[in-house]
Amino acid sequence: MARRRGKSSDLSKNNEETLLWAGLATAGVVSLVVIASLALAPIVSIGPEEGNRAPDFVADAYNGGSWYEFRMSDIWDWDWDGNSSDSKWILIQFIDTDCPYCWEEGDEMSQYHAQWKDRVTFVTVSVHLNIPNHESSKSEIEAFRDRTSFGTNENDGDGCNSGRDNCNTRPGTSHQWTYVDDPSNSIFAQWELGGTPFSAILQPDGVVAWNKLKHQGQGGDGEDLPSALQRLVGDS
Amino acid sequence: MMSVLSLELGIFIAGILGASVILQRNYLESGEEGTKGVITSGLLFATVGIVASGWTWSIHNSLMESGSSSMCASEGLVQCGSVIGDPQWNNLFGMPWGVIGIASFGVIFFVLMTLFLDQNAKRSPQFVNYLWYLGIAGIPFVAWLVVIELLLVEGAPHICPYCTVIHLSMIGVFVSAHFMKKRRANSTW
Repeated sequence: MARRRGKSSDLSKNNEETLLWAGLATAGVVSLVVIASLALAPIVSIGPEEGNRAPDFVADAYNGGSWYEFRMSDIWDWDWDGNSSDSKWILIQFIDTDCPYCWEEGDEMSQYHAQWKDRVTFVTVSVHLNIPNHESSKSEIEAFRDRTSFGTNENDGDGCNSGRDNCNTRPGTSHQWTYVDDPSNSIFAQWELGGTPFSAILQPDGVVAWNKLKHQGQGGDGEDLPSALQRLVGDS
Repeated sequence: MMSVLSLELGIFIAGILGASVILQRNYLESGEEGTKGVITSGLLFATVGIVASGWTWSIHNSLMESGSSSMCASEGLVQCGSVIGDPQWNNLFGMPWGVIGIASFGVIFFVLMTLFLDQNAKRSPQFVNYLWYLGIAGIPFVAWLVVIELLLVEGAPHICPYCTVIHLSMIGVFVSAHFMKKRRANSTW
């Protein structure tokens, strides 16, 4: 009996040892691969915080003529040296065509574009907030951007600004820049946003230089978008 | 423009071919030696899978850093840039597929290593079953990633050679697991 118990205890010890050696071998191989991979190319910080590379995305975009596949990083100048004034900065704005604050911001954006269009590429991402009367569509995005007729001026849910206005009455002029459709709100989520409107300024190489929430949120220095454009990009 | 063929790709292909030859020579041979050969081929497939996944992770990181990578071609039909650099498709819950590959093949490697170290252990039948389930679970992911390469990435179709090496490694693990299961069923373990 004692001999049998001894045998079974040896077997279980062997089992444990095998698992331990297999675990060590696996940990060794995986660690080596991870270390070598990171030595070849370290992880890049990606996210909405200032100093990080902005989240890249591919989505349907409208340029005033047609819809096409737009990739954010295609407009980045990866070789930007930090000084060159030939490269354009990027202003990314998030809106919902039915959000009243975004509706009002339409005029300011027209003014900023008129002032900085030669040195800043504007991109507006249109999200679809899950709020009653915020149903949007590609046609509504087109009308919001182009300031063309869509919906009525009755508060009937049809049109822009929570369905209260015809899109052709949006404050400001027609927006002459790219509008991106974000129907699943995936770009919105990548930017870790909770609402609209939101804007951020990216360096020409895609690194976040100014994030509205950092400056205008709690504890921020209160710097607004035109002041940030002035500070970072300078006079138009 | 970078050539598609490189030393690293050659090493990975040699690993896949080596594992296939070991499997081919042993899958019909009965007894412990044949079993050891099949397990060894599975281990080699898993090792190639881990290392190639690490390589694609590095390519991903360098593409995020500078928009290009010296580790793989970024133009033409056979290239990595449009596949590994695609922000929409090269991620699962925000993690690049290279990281998921390292973790998945790591688990497979552990199971195979326990079989390799003691193929007659009491737990062997159970671990062969685990390996079989892991192999089955991996195949739909391989199919999905091939669909992404050929149909969904920007400028599709593209064929990413390192991704293909990883897909072949997964298929190799699945086939090895299949023969291990068969050996247990036929009492030729």
